[in-house]
Amino acid sequence: MLRIVNFSKSYKGGKIAVDRLNLEVDGGDIFGFIGHNGAGKTTTIRAIAGVLDFDEGDILIDGVSVKKDPVRCKKVTAYIPDNPDLYDHLTGIAYLNFIGDIYEIDRTERRQLIEKYADAFELTADLGDRIASYSHGMKQKLAIISALIHKPKLLVLDEPFVGLDPKAAHTLKTIMADLCRNGSAIFFSTHVLEVAEKLCNKIGIIKNGKLVAFGPTGEVTGDSSLEDVFMELVESGHKKGTVQT
Amino acid sequence: MKKVMRLLNVQLWAMLMEMLSIGDFRKKRTKVLQAGLVLFVIVLSSVSFAYAYFLGKSLKAYNSTETLPFLFMAVTSIVVLFTTMYMIKGTVFGFRDYDLVMSLPVSTGKIVASRLMLLYFINLFFVLIIMVPMTAAYGILVKPGFIFYLFGILTVFFIPFIPIIIASIVGTVLAFVSMRFRYSNILYMVFIFMIILAWIVVPFFLQGSGEALAVISKVITGKIKKIYFWADLYTRAVTQADIAALLIFTVVSVLAFLLYSWVVGKIFIKINTQIMTIRHKTDYKMEELKSSSPLMALYKRDIKRYFASPVYVLNTGFGMVILLILTVALPFININELLGEIPVTGTMQEVIPLIIMFCMATSCTTMASVSIEGKNLWIIKSLPVSTYTIFASKILVNLTVLIPAVLASIVIGISFKFPLINGLLILISVISFAVFISLFGLAVNLNFPNLTWSNETVIIKQSMASMISVFFCLGLVAAQFGLLKAIKNFCLSILIFICLVWLFNFILYKRLKTTGTRQFEKL
Repeated sequence: MLRIVNFSKSYKGGKIAVDRLNLEVDGGDIFGFIGHNGAGKTTTIRAIAGVLDFDEGDILIDGVSVKKDPVRCKKVTAYIPDNPDLYDHLTGIAYLNFIGDIYEIDRTERRQLIEKYADAFELTADLGDRIASYSHGMKQKLAIISALIHKPKLLVLDEPFVGLDPKAAHTLKTIMADLCRNGSAIFFSTHVLEVAEKLCNKIGIIKNGKLVAFGPTGEVTGDSSLEDVFMELVESGHKKGTVQT
Repeated sequence: MKKVMRLLNVQLWAMLMEMLSIGDFRKKRTKVLQAGLVLFVIVLSSVSFAYAYFLGKSLKAYNSTETLPFLFMAVTSIVVLFTTMYMIKGTVFGFRDYDLVMSLPVSTGKIVASRLMLLYFINLFFVLIIMVPMTAAYGILVKPGFIFYLFGILTVFFIPFIPIIIASIVGTVLAFVSMRFRYSNILYMVFIFMIILAWIVVPFFLQGSGEALAVISKVITGKIKKIYFWADLYTRAVTQADIAALLIFTVVSVLAFLLYSWVVGKIFIKINTQIMTIRHKTDYKMEELKSSSPLMALYKRDIKRYFASPVYVLNTGFGMVILLILTVALPFININELLGEIPVTGTMQEVIPLIIMFCMATSCTTMASVSIEGKNLWIIKSLPVSTYTIFASKILVNLTVLIPAVLASIVIGISFKFPLINGLLILISVISFAVFISLFGLAVNLNFPNLTWSNETVIIKQSMASMISVFFCLGLVAAQFGLLKAIKNFCLSILIFICLVWLFNFILYKRLKTTGTRQFEKL
């Protein structure tokens, strides 16, 4: 579903954010992308979502290059950034309807899906209010609902659990598992290693823009916990798992 | 005082950085932008000087030169009034970093002082640009003594105080009243439009008839004296070296400002809490949803964004409101009585396209349409729509805003009974110019984007993109007038203008398709 081939991104001033990244996420995978602050997680995620322009390498979604045909890739992808800045001037329902229009979701199905997910995240009663009046968690819920209503084949999330209350976090985990059972792939970054360890069947650890560990969760962690592996890797710089460079 | 200055310093720098896009990833452009700002100050000061000098020269012929400082003082006060009315919400009340600033271990009084001083310095900038060149022009024309320059320079620093107080009170009351309604922003805009229109219309009815410039100036002066006696006090202090007037002017200004600051300090938290409280009903029930095409969805989103911003609408919609009022009023006005001896196919026919296009040139919404996305840019960039569809929606919004210009050209053509071919040419030129404004604004904004703003006034009123687009569009209007004067054939000059505009439109379209798309993708 997602193939990243030799992806590199450097910013003006010469800082290399991501250096020749290669990885693959298949349909049905929940992939956890882990790394310290500034390691290159958000850069990678934004490039996958087609938000960030890049010069080297390629990213293929469902076999289509993000660079060559971004619109086709975006049709099957949903992206939620780490800080969901939404349109404050719109109401929650107007925002969801806007997303429904852009993804050309059938009206009846759109309503059913909004109802389903808004009820699941207990946001239905607030949908008539302006987004400006929402708390951080409510905005996060709305961003998640907007990502789910077009049934994406690839869901890309940057720190999705930040700001969610425990019930909403549980709901999101359940929905993620359901999506994967239906063949979608999920790529998400997190600093909560326990969540990644429990939820993901594949893990990737990035350090200073380079992938230092990649593979099935069990293979990456071995007999240790993910936290131990992560600490060992970020401090020593060894590579673990089936890392491709 | 140290803390006040530190807060003021941070706020002023933040504003300057936003204006010049310093700290953005386009650092290498910073120097160009700074040079642009210096150029902007030089151009405005030169225009102000030229205007003061030539007006003063005409007034001198009628022995009325003393009217010059008076008129400029009144104009400056109006500039300060409107600037403050636009800025009060977002600078003193309802500003974005309110929580951060209020959590600092600094007293409310000091925060209020820093905010009011910020407002003062912004206004002082405009006052200096207008008043210093006028002082120089007056000096050249009248050759007054040293005391004129001393009093002139001294009083400049006191001019902003009273208009700031008046505008802050009006602006705060408007913001306060309008926020009690569901569509508070629209109501706020309507209020401000009404005040500005009243300001324009009232003197029009008050004004008597007079042929000579000096007579007109004296009539206007007399009317302004009745409305704003403060300008009269200033004139007496500066031109007649009236010490009593100078003392009243400076001391009352400062005392009033101190009193105002004290009052604001007392109600600062209360008003900010009220203004920033957003209605939250929590009673929504799912209803039937209306669907649209992706382009229409983007268009609806963009037009809602436009009308959600009073600063955006007030800055780019005023000319269109005037034209709309004109369009509605014209069928009820007796044209022959209004025009008198002025020939319809001569002067009026030449002037009308200029008036319409002048209003249009100040109605470019695309010049901030990319920057206005700000932190929300990720949304449209992650959506499955082509960059050109995004551009098309922004262009459509600007064309929608410019509809009153098209309507005005039709109604005026019919009302003034222009020959069919001339009326059609005016209509085509207006439509062509509308397309140009929309394309040009977008191209300029893509060259000078600012996505890190914290106050939208910066990208709408004070950005490089807004200055370039307004000045260039006004330049094109001047070019049309120049063509008319050079060719002396109305139809031919309009025809050449239309061809020229479409040539620009074609170049801009091609550029947006290629370079513009790349620029957007790199944001």
